[in-house]
Amino acid sequence: MTAQEGGAGPEGVTAVGGGVGWEGGAAGPDQDGDDFVDLPWEALVDHNCFGCSPKNLSGLRLRFSPHPDGLVTRFRLGRAFESYPGVVHGGILSTICDEAMGNLLVLRTGKSAFTVTLRMRFVSPLKVDHEYSCVARLRPEESRMGLEHAAAEILGPTGRPMATATGVYKPVSMDRARDHLVLTDDAAGLLQGALSESSSKQNGA
Amino acid sequence: MPSPAHDEILTTITEIVAAELGVPVSELPPQRDLREVEGADSVKILRSVAKIERRYDIEMDDDDVFSLHCLDDAAAVIAKTLAQSRA
Repeated sequence: MTAQEGGAGPEGVTAVGGGVGWEGGAAGPDQDGDDFVDLPWEALVDHNCFGCSPKNLSGLRLRFSPHPDGLVTRFRLGRAFESYPGVVHGGILSTICDEAMGNLLVLRTGKSAFTVTLRMRFVSPLKVDHEYSCVARLRPEESRMGLEHAAAEILGPTGRPMATATGVYKPVSMDRARDHLVLTDDAAGLLQGALSESSSKQNGA
Repeated sequence: MPSPAHDEILTTITEIVAAELGVPVSELPPQRDLREVEGADSVKILRSVAKIERRYDIEMDDDDVFSLHCLDDAAAVIAKTLAQSRA
């Protein structure tokens, strides 16, 4: 049985709060008081994003909360995401930063955001089975030519930066995005509605 | 918004780096080689760079970051980066 078929998932994924991210799929506050945002992708029945789908048991299942700078996700990675012994794999950290920045843009613009550039700087190794957070923010003053700039930091428990990222994204309307996404007409309609709704909420409309 | 002057940048980053290295500001004159500061290591320097980039909302080139020797160098790189990003 594969993880997607309902198995336990790879080692580490089921360790704490679902292994990474947070357990459960519904928005709303958890026991730590985090108020999770609804991501528009959740409108899709078969949403399977490696980074943020609660249904992808092989994935990170990240959940995001509002943050004064933009968006935050907290995570604890098990050995399934290990690099050197006891050290979290840097590629996974890149994915987390990309997820945080990309989803922040999606929520703000109401459009899909395709990654154009992703630059990481790894300051200090992260330990397996320890909790960290990733905070993403937009850099509107850098944005030009239809490209949006964002930044993210992975922080340790005392708020020390462990890794930093900058990213450049191309926001794409649903009409254009459909050239790249595999969606039925019904699913595209649902997603367009969810994107518009998320953007309105984020921007206080 | 005008870019901060070199001396203003120097003051700000000296405070950031001193806090990260755990030394008084007085131990970090502008020309002092950071590698000679007791307790300084690459992780603390990179952490300082992360905080400086966050403070000024800039992205310094890796070539610049890894060739920094002293805070005076760093202030010059930051001023250059700010000027480029606001051009």
